[in-house]
Amino acid sequence: MNFLSRLKPSGREGSLGIILIVTIGITGLINPRFLTGDGTRDLFTSTAVVALLAIGMAPIIIMRHIDLSVASTVGLTAWFIADLCAKHPDFTWVQCFIIGPLIGMVVGIINGLLVAGLRLPSLVVTLGTLYIVRGAVYVISNSVDYNAQEMPPSLLRLGQKVYFGVMPFTFVLVIFAMLVTAWFMKYRKAGRDCYAIGSNTHAADLVGLKVFRRVFLAYVFSGAMAGLAGVFYIMRFAQVDSTAFYGQELAVVAAAVIGGVTIAGGSGTTIGATIGALLVQTIQGGLAAIGVDAFWKSAINGLLLIVAIYADRTLARKSENALLAQRIKERA
Amino acid sequence: MARDLLLQMKGVQKRFGGAIALRGTDLSIRAGEIHALLGENGAGKSTMLKILAGVHVNDGGTIELGSKPFITGSPQASIEQGIAVIYQEPSLFLDLTLAENVFIGRQPMKGIAIDWAQAQTEAARLFAELGVPLDPKRLARGLSIADQQVVEIAKALSMNANIILMDEPTAALSASEVERLMTVMKSLKAANKAVIFVSHRLDEVFAISDYITVMRDGATVSENAVSVTDLQKVIKEMVGRELTELFPKTENKIGEIALEVKDLTNPAYFRNISFSVRRGEIVALAGLVGSGRSEVARAIFGIDKYTAGTVKVNGKELAKGSPVAAMAEKIALVPEDRRQQGLFMIAGVDRNISMESFDRIKGKLFINFKKERALTEIWRDKLSIKYAAPTNPVESLSGGNQQKTVLAKWLATDPDILIVDEPTRGIDVGTKAEVHKLINAAAGEGKAVLMISSELPEVLGMADRIIVMREGHKVAELSRKEATQEKVIAAATTGSKGA
Repeated sequence: MNFLSRLKPSGREGSLGIILIVTIGITGLINPRFLTGDGTRDLFTSTAVVALLAIGMAPIIIMRHIDLSVASTVGLTAWFIADLCAKHPDFTWVQCFIIGPLIGMVVGIINGLLVAGLRLPSLVVTLGTLYIVRGAVYVISNSVDYNAQEMPPSLLRLGQKVYFGVMPFTFVLVIFAMLVTAWFMKYRKAGRDCYAIGSNTHAADLVGLKVFRRVFLAYVFSGAMAGLAGVFYIMRFAQVDSTAFYGQELAVVAAAVIGGVTIAGGSGTTIGATIGALLVQTIQGGLAAIGVDAFWKSAINGLLLIVAIYADRTLARKSENALLAQRIKERA
Repeated sequence: MARDLLLQMKGVQKRFGGAIALRGTDLSIRAGEIHALLGENGAGKSTMLKILAGVHVNDGGTIELGSKPFITGSPQASIEQGIAVIYQEPSLFLDLTLAENVFIGRQPMKGIAIDWAQAQTEAARLFAELGVPLDPKRLARGLSIADQQVVEIAKALSMNANIILMDEPTAALSASEVERLMTVMKSLKAANKAVIFVSHRLDEVFAISDYITVMRDGATVSENAVSVTDLQKVIKEMVGRELTELFPKTENKIGEIALEVKDLTNPAYFRNISFSVRRGEIVALAGLVGSGRSEVARAIFGIDKYTAGTVKVNGKELAKGSPVAAMAEKIALVPEDRRQQGLFMIAGVDRNISMESFDRIKGKLFINFKKERALTEIWRDKLSIKYAAPTNPVESLSGGNQQKTVLAKWLATDPDILIVDEPTRGIDVGTKAEVHKLINAAAGEGKAVLMISSELPEVLGMADRIIVMREGHKVAELSRKEATQEKVIAAATTGSKGA
């Protein structure tokens, strides 16, 4: 508990957590099934992939960059691993958990070199790798799909594993990743550099921070998380084709932003990003539970995003005004 | 004085492409002294600071720290050698706390984790030492410039810097904040640190410094203890040159008052500014950068609003806050920053020149490109603008030709009142003379010209009258006859009228 309290979520994560609990509560009142063990387990299972990606992307957004290639990387890794497992029936979950992140890191290294090394705009670079990686999946897969019978039983069993009836194995890993990165971002110099770089890149250069190294490694980390998320994808769906996780990159950005990771850089935490992912999923699940048509899903997601950014701006403006008022008072 | 020599620069040189920024600069700094670095714009002060900061590398000369050679090349190296730089615009991380800003990159550790408690205690101690008890846990966002400087100084102290460079630290401070900064500087001096600061405010320089080094055109002119020099001497050394460039000043027929500004006030930038410009007259607005000159011009032209006062054109009051109204009254403003404000850089020369003269190039329904071409050629010939084709983007032109293009754009509107802000900044001497000729010619045609310029020779050579601004106030109005470089500098830097 001491460890948790030292991570001391700031006000923003606190209020997000409360919003999450209230949302879950309301949904549960309308549809009690949502609050059962099964409902909670479903929430965690369906959030794990996006949450893991949001944790990987948070440091990048904090540095005022973005990684749009993550969904394609999930697709690439998922297909690759399924393919490898089909060809090597002796593979177990262990190989998958090693190879997945390694494939993701290759994409991360390419992104990192282009963004940090050549200082190209990350939005364009990762939009490019989004298409390239997805295109590569199309070419390599040659329209071959894989189903549960070709996948390692040990991996699928792990995907079904649930602790205390509510906590799936994948989400345990999400929480572990969240806590480790949150600690790293708060208590290691490299983590703090990320906030400094996102806050003022020019000043970061002037005080001699290693901007290239930090940005590069953040992309490698995001790539690794995307690779692991590819493994999670297989564990959840037990089938893969070349369109796996197609077009979901913005859902990841949305989760992070809703979780208080500022798109303009400089602030946010991986805890917030995870809560953001859970919140999006809860609202989706909640709406389905009260019988809202699934066609509304993406419109409501968009609305949620705008509400989040509006709340963010309003809070920022309020605190800025308060600071200004305080300064005028001090001067008088 | 047997103080330790901390820093010695000898014959330091620096070129940027073809331009020579430093041609042999000397500077020696001892521990426990406050050393002012003076010089006009472009004298090379900032380049000197940036070399010491590790941002630039010198091309020639020697720099020694104590007895060791200074290792140039990276900000990190400078920091490690005990040199801290506080830039004019403090470069804090606004999203981080003050404690973190002080210790960024050097956070105290406890095992494998940053020890935040210690960082906060330590930062609080440094702030207290500087006499400004800021809260180390608050974010830097929303901090005043003065307080941001305090954080930067605390950062310098925490790095054990023994040489602290400040680039125009007082430029954006109020009087009480300047006083507080001076107290801080004195406490640094008492701690046996060396403070080097650049300032244009000579009254402050004489109030606080021990030594004064004057630079001019990239070289050191003098280095004296403050006790053996004085204001007059320093101003002479700063100006130094004779009026070498010839200004083709023509005596024009001075006519009616065309532009009359009365008690113009925008509390953020300027207060109670009054002056008038007659037809055929060139009036210069002189003063330091940031004294509010450009803001006055922008207010007259209606880009910014003002809270009090009036602008009259030919005796008629001009609506405030409307460039359209100003242009209807035939006012033209050639802005200071041609790349950002004056031109559409990727559009052609023709498009730029005809931009404000739509009536002259329109046909019945559509733009008549023949007329546009003709208009462009008229101004190309009048101003001898050099371009390969009229459709070439302006960004492909040299700075001088760009400047002529902006001038052409506004002269094409046939203004009665021409306001030019820094008309010759960043262009070569030959083109300068041409621009001067054009401005003179405009006045000769009976236009009223208001010229903002930081170049004294230009001001003295061109203007019929000179209005000097300092910190948002008009501090002097000098006729062509009474104006001297010394008088203008004295007014601009200390507010004193006689010199």
